[in-house]
Parts: sequence; structure tokens; C-alpha cells
Amino acid sequence: MRAVPVSLAALAAALALSGPVQAAERLAGSRPDIASVEGGLWGEMDKVEAEARTRGDLNRDPALNAYMHEIMCKVAGPHCADLRVYVMDRPYFNASMAPNGYTEIWSGLLLRASDEAEVAYVLGHEFGHFVETHSLERYAARKMRANVAMAASVVVAVAGASSAAGATTSGEAQSIIDATRGTIDLIYYAQMAALFRFTREQESEADLLGQRRAGQAGYDVAAAMESWRGLIAETQASDFKRVRRSESRSSIFDSHPLSADRIAALETQARTLTPGGERGRARHRAAIRPFLPAWLRDDLRRRDFGQTLAVIDRLAAGGEDLGVLNYYRGEAYRLRRGEGDLAKAREAYLAASGQPDAPAATWRELGDIHRRDGARAAAKAAYETYLAKAPQAEDAWMVQDSLSSLERSS
Amino acid sequence: MTTLRTTIRPLGIAAAALSLAACASVVAAPAGAFRVGSGYEVSLGRDWSDISAVMAGKTRKVRLLSIDGPLLNRLYLTDGLAPGDFLIKPEIKERPTPVIRKDMSASERLEFITDSVAALEYQRVELAKPRPGRIGEASGVRFDLTAQTREGLDIKGAGVIAERGGKTYVLLYLAPAEHYFDASLAKVEAIMASARLG
Repeated sequence: MRAVPVSLAALAAALALSGPVQAAERLAGSRPDIASVEGGLWGEMDKVEAEARTRGDLNRDPALNAYMHEIMCKVAGPHCADLRVYVMDRPYFNASMAPNGYTEIWSGLLLRASDEAEVAYVLGHEFGHFVETHSLERYAARKMRANVAMAASVVVAVAGASSAAGATTSGEAQSIIDATRGTIDLIYYAQMAALFRFTREQESEADLLGQRRAGQAGYDVAAAMESWRGLIAETQASDFKRVRRSESRSSIFDSHPLSADRIAALETQARTLTPGGERGRARHRAAIRPFLPAWLRDDLRRRDFGQTLAVIDRLAAGGEDLGVLNYYRGEAYRLRRGEGDLAKAREAYLAASGQPDAPAATWRELGDIHRRDGARAAAKAAYETYLAKAPQAEDAWMVQDSLSSLERSS
Repeated sequence: MTTLRTTIRPLGIAAAALSLAACASVVAAPAGAFRVGSGYEVSLGRDWSDISAVMAGKTRKVRLLSIDGPLLNRLYLTDGLAPGDFLIKPEIKERPTPVIRKDMSASERLEFITDSVAALEYQRVELAKPRPGRIGEASGVRFDLTAQTREGLDIKGAGVIAERGGKTYVLLYLAPAEHYFDASLAKVEAIMASARLG
């Protein structure tokens, strides 16, 4: 009797290995019949896109949006007219493309990309999902697996009930019922695991498509690997142990492959592609420069200061925007307030203060730090510089108050 | 492309939060004296609802009042926050929220407000017009605030943050800019003026 649930567990494992559904590649300019499943998906995403146009975190800057559309069109070629890119001011590395061509790229990704080639790889990846109709495949796979799980559960439940009815003792019947329940749970877990494995496979496929698309558009295919290396470095710099460990632990319930595995697959493919190509570093920096202060402030509000510092290090590698970047480096240390962080904040603010693009707030923060350190003359000089640089600042009276209290106590 | 991995854990957290919320309830905060904590009292000019127990991120030292529901108006009143205390409690360790520190500057106190409001998932949080203010006998900074919900609804805020005896006191009012903010602002300003620290 005990063999029944065991063999059913094997059935569950076999179900988990059942193959995914493959849909046809999308043609440029095509729109599905509204009565079809895909047409329904498009209709739903049309509604989501309409809502996105009024969202609070939508970045409406015409120049930035035009720049993203230009990169998208280089990568998507004849599909360009099918796609709309929206920049969302959200401090995470993320992008997505819906089956109707509605595309989001988040500010956190643009802040982390070193150049245009990395952005092109990401958009190429999302375009890979679009052109291979992955969302339709996922929908079909989810539906198929839900049906399979339901049918298998009914079979197991009937078999379990029959076995329990034939049991000679109540203890044996209870054991069979428990085992049957466990097998049904296993069937559902197996189906979920299989679905996540399927999405991981789609992600891997989109990675390779994205790299190829970016290469065909004239971008350096090495940018794909560098994008993931940057993310791994940032993850390792996290203030939180659980985040640092996330890149080394995979789970059957992960929807995406590990970054290290993605790099390995991209490196293998890169050896078959033409090396070189453009990076577009200066164009990318010029496009995101106006947003650096706001996006870095958003990133600081995530309060994983180790990660923000890693992002700033990457942005500062080219020696540009050092006034702004050192100011926000100082902000990260000041906000974290770990052992020795205030001294590092002071050094960063001082480094910023020597740059022409340093925000006026650099001197206000320097004044506060010097004041904490008991360096009154330096604090006074910093506050005075702030007031000279930002006489109309709304908080000028607060800084004047700090200055006056310093003068009273000296 | 997202690097946020899907796991079962968030579902468990959500289920736990729902089950806890089911045990909590909204209580009346009738017009008259309203005691915030051990030594802080305000006078309410009308009946409010105390929704502290049903809000996500609630803490022992923070009371949350509303007239029409938290999406339409909310008034945060904190008892004296000590170093390490927060206005908004973090849901998980890896998503911390701002805390009070013992050596905060005046601008850091304002930053505590804006970053706490941002932790409530509001967008484009900007503090404006900082000016001298008071909570009872404690001097501090009065401020205005603007933000947006994720859905794009404009939000306005007003409040005051003050420090006395190493404790920080906050009174913060948030409501949609359209109709609701102005409709209750006078009542909130009267509450601010009525604050008495024990």
C-alpha cells in the first residue's frame, strides 16, 4: 500500500519535466485577433499602458525618452513602430516589455548602465521576449500546468481514498491519507518549480537574443557581460548579508538564472560574434547627467548604502561628474553612520567641494560634520560658503541659525 | 530582466500581515483631548478615527488618525521618538526605514520626514518652506510637503518636527491636493497649535 504514494511522487516529478509550449515568432507590424488569447493579453496590457501614462513615477523628459526610443529602434529594426518605451523613475535595475510593445525601463537601470551598449543589450533582451512571444508561451504553460496539476491531484486523491478504505487499522488509514496529502502538495510544488524553470529558460534565451541584437545594431557585445558583472559587484557590496548571499544561491523557485550563469552563457556566445563595436559612453552620460541628483537620492532612499556606494564608484570610474558623485558618496556615508563613516563622509564632501559641479548642499553638510567634530572655524567657513552659494535657499535661515549659535559659543 | 527573484517568502509575510490586520481594529478618537503617549496631548476639534492598529508599518510610539480614510487624509502624531525609533517601521530588514539619531542636524530632521514619507511608497517627495515652528514647548521646524502616489495623484502635506530632552516629536498631515488637503488643513493647524508636551 505504501508504494502507491511513492509511485505517485514519481508521477509528480515526471509531470514537472513535461515540455513547455512554443509559440511562433512575432512579425513586424502584426497585431493579434482581438478574440484570440494573445489578443486578450494585448488588451489587458493596453489598459496597463494607459495607466502608466499617468503614474507618478513616469519620467516625462522628452529628450531622455527620445534617446531611449532611438536605442530601442536600433535594436528592434523593423519592429520599431510596434514599440513604446517609458522611463520610470524607480531605483532598481529593471526593464520589461509587454506583448503589445509597451516597454518600461527603470531609472535604476539607466543609473547602473555604464554606457549605451549596456542599455542596448537590456532592450535587446526585452525585445527578445517580445519577438519570441514569451508572455504568450508563459500564459499557455501556466494554464497547461494548472490543468495537469488539478487532474493529477484528482487521480492521487481517488487512489489514496481507495487505499485508505482498504486499510486494516485506523493508524494505517491515517498514514495513507497523510501520504496522499503530501503527494498532492508535491504535485503542485513540482508544477510551480517547472513553471519557474520555464521562465529561467526564457530569460536565458532572451539574454542571448539581446546580445545578438545589440551586436547586430553595432554595439560591443562585451557590454552584456559587463552589465551583469556590475550587478554582481553591487550585490556583493550590499550592507545586508542576505542580499550578498543571493547571487550564490539558486532555488527551483527562482524566476531568473544566477548572474554568474548568465555571464558564462553570454561569454560562450560572444566568442561566436564579431568583437568590438561602439559603447556610446559619452552619449549615455550626457543623457542621464541631468537626472543624477534625483536618481541618486532615490537610490539612497533604498537605504542599502553599500550598494549605492558601489553604483557611485562605477559612475565615477570615468572621472566625470565628480562634484555630484562625491557629494552623494558623502551622503551615503553620512546616512549609514557606521564605524568611521562620518570621517569618510567628510572626505567625500571635501573632494566634492573642489569640483565645479558640487551642489551647494556640500558646504552645509561639511559645516554640520565639522561642527560635530568640534572644528568650529572650519564649520563656520563651510556654513558661510553655503550661504554665499545659496542665499535664496529655503533652509538658509536654519544654516544661519547654526552659524549664529557657533558664533555665540565661541 | 528583473533581478528581484521570486520566492515563496513574500507570500508568507503578506499572509502573516493579513492575519494580524484581521485582529486589529479602528477605534474612535472623539473631539476633545487626545493623548498621544506618555507625555503628549493635543486637542481634536472634531471626531477622528484612530487607525493606528490597522496601518502597515505601525509602531508603538506613532498614532495615526483619519477622517475619511487613510487614502484621503492621515495625521501622524508621534510620542517622543528616541534614537533608533522610526516613524515608519520597516517590513523587512533589507528594506530599512529612517531612524532618529542622537546627533541629528536640523536638515537631517527634515530629511527624516521626507525619507519616511518616501518609505510609504509616495513618489517625488519634496519638502518646502521650512520655517520656525513648535510642538507645545518644544521649538522645531514647521514645513510643507508635496508628493505623488504611485498612481499619479498629487499629495500635499504639512507638519512640524521638534526636539526636546533628546526626544523627537512629529506631527505630519498628508492628503490629496485636490479638495481633501485644504478641507482639513485648518483643523490640523488647530491641532498643531493645541499640542502640549507633559
